[in-house]
Amino acid sequence: MLYRVLPSSLYLAAYFMVAGALVSQAELSSTPLKELLSVQTGVQTLLTKVRPAVVAIRTHDGTASGVIINAEGLILTAAHVAEKPGREMRVVLDDGKVVKAVTLGLDKTTDAALMQLHDTDKAWPHVKLSREVVKALPGSWCFALGHPGGFDKERGVVLRVGKIIRQTANSLQTDCVLMGGDSGGPLFNLKGEVIGIHSQIWEQRDHNMHVSMAPFLRSWDEMKSSLVIRVWGTGSGGYLGAAIDVNAAGKVEVLEVLEGSPAQKAGLIAGDVVEALETQPVSSASQFSNAVRVRPAGDEILLKVLRDQATRELRVKLASRPKEDEG
Amino acid sequence: MRRVGMTKPECRIPNGNLRNGCGLVLLFVFLFGVAHADTRATLSQEERTNGAQILGGMETTLPGARAAVAQIKDAKGKAVSTAVWVGADGYFLTKASEVPELEKQRIHWAKENSAAIREIQRLNAHDLVLAQAVGVSGVMPVKFEMAASKTAYGQWLAAPVKGGSEIRIGVISAQPRKIQGFGAAMGISMDKEPPPVPGVRIIGLAEESPAVAAGLRVGDILTALDGKPATDREQVSNLIKSYQPGDFMEVKYSRDGKPRTTRVRLASRMKIVMNWEGEDFANGGISLRTDNFARVIQHDLPLTPLDMGGPLFDLQGHALGINIARVDRVTTFALPASVFWKEIEPLIEADRHPPKALKP
Repeated sequence: MLYRVLPSSLYLAAYFMVAGALVSQAELSSTPLKELLSVQTGVQTLLTKVRPAVVAIRTHDGTASGVIINAEGLILTAAHVAEKPGREMRVVLDDGKVVKAVTLGLDKTTDAALMQLHDTDKAWPHVKLSREVVKALPGSWCFALGHPGGFDKERGVVLRVGKIIRQTANSLQTDCVLMGGDSGGPLFNLKGEVIGIHSQIWEQRDHNMHVSMAPFLRSWDEMKSSLVIRVWGTGSGGYLGAAIDVNAAGKVEVLEVLEGSPAQKAGLIAGDVVEALETQPVSSASQFSNAVRVRPAGDEILLKVLRDQATRELRVKLASRPKEDEG
Repeated sequence: MRRVGMTKPECRIPNGNLRNGCGLVLLFVFLFGVAHADTRATLSQEERTNGAQILGGMETTLPGARAAVAQIKDAKGKAVSTAVWVGADGYFLTKASEVPELEKQRIHWAKENSAAIREIQRLNAHDLVLAQAVGVSGVMPVKFEMAASKTAYGQWLAAPVKGGSEIRIGVISAQPRKIQGFGAAMGISMDKEPPPVPGVRIIGLAEESPAVAAGLRVGDILTALDGKPATDREQVSNLIKSYQPGDFMEVKYSRDGKPRTTRVRLASRMKIVMNWEGEDFANGGISLRTDNFARVIQHDLPLTPLDMGGPLFDLQGHALGINIARVDRVTTFALPASVFWKEIEPLIEADRHPPKALKP
């Protein structure tokens, strides 16, 4: 199930080009100016609220970013910033004050990590994170904050406003341009909730990748208890327990339902054609399995399936992937 | 394609010799499972922030923006900078450090027009040069807004690019501020031990630096800079630092025992030190001079160094200032009009009386 991408980058380059060809239907906005001005008002209002929660992180040999997400001082950042649990790092607050934090767990497969500020009695300025991962849709406006190049009090935190370009099971791509020092910084939706953590860039301007909230929500407990997740599947949520494939008619069909799985409990049987997950039409096997996996275990989803020429709706409560199933 | 990690080594500008005092950027190998596949369709180019859908709507709200710019091209027809018209009778401003030999170049606008250039005055403090397109009248000058005090984080801005053929948008991305200058550099680190022949040996080169662009290599021995003999590391470093970004320097050096000469176009020292490994790569490169400005507006418009010298507008079409430096992938600086216009206006008035260069 794992493909290791060589740093030569050819694989992803080709991948991006293929992905770029999938043009979605544009929703034409007749008044872009009005839209832009409303985005501006939204961003400016939110910026003053969220800014105190954005921090710069001084690693052992570099500088990065992060965001505080609760009053006790829990910080979201990138795994390549934290590198390993139990590392002490200095954190620079918005006003330039330097405090200490320690790295907790991290998910190396997706680049998600948690840190904890030392002083847990202080009421830290913080922001909310979005639990509705699938709602971070391509085309939505968003804004990125961070400390590219390191903390600079005269300059302040650096804002970028843009749109979500891609949503994958674990990441978001946006046209908010990032660079060195931004790693670990937050991407916000226009409700002021964190929807991504800056992870990596490719050379093209629009190739700015953020870890979505999916890996954080899925592996929250593991990461809080300072575990390192190295293999995709550990702590993986959104388990259905059904084998699916595209049938001769090009529809996503259930081939097999595992004994005791959430799919079986919900009444899904082999031969069912999956037409929709919630309101989202199912168009391919990978799109369907990603849409399932991006949700945390415990989530209830509504599946619309076609069986014997009749459409029926099944409620499935997703579980965690069973241990023996791990790779 | 190049992929980079995004933490950044912490750098401080070193005293004395120009060396990279930083660790390496952390690169990490990313694991892509099959789950990396898209859950939704990718947003098309047209739908993106600087895509046709939004930019198409800007045309009507910014009628004068594209007509206000021209392009400076060298003798080979290669664009070197953008100019903004400041007088209907052909007066324009552009970024001084990008056009050291302005009168050897021509100004081009509205696709088919071009004219010779008469340089009037360089304002090195602002990195601007005032000049006139010879024999030109009836161009569309901008009217700068002096009250740009309302600008704040998150405000949308627009700028013409590619000589006025397109528009780009972005937001004010940081606090307005003064940018300190640290002099010039060429991007070399030097051996403190003297080489067998008189001179100073190059032992390291910064990525995409002026030294690299001029063809210098590790192992070359510098023998003279602008006619002054190179004696030791500190003397060479101090000599280079005394120049300004954008200045030319004639460099004599020895490679494999043979004397050679090249001309190096110096750049801002701070940027070269901070970007020694090329980690701050900007799409389309960066400007030679990126510092030493009295006050800048920082924004995130996707511009290139060639777009510098052009005007910056708000979405209502008010000209707020001039784009002056492409700094890195996420940063462009613009000079607010309040910084330079009170100096420029009297220069134009003085130059107009008596009228000059109205005939080719």
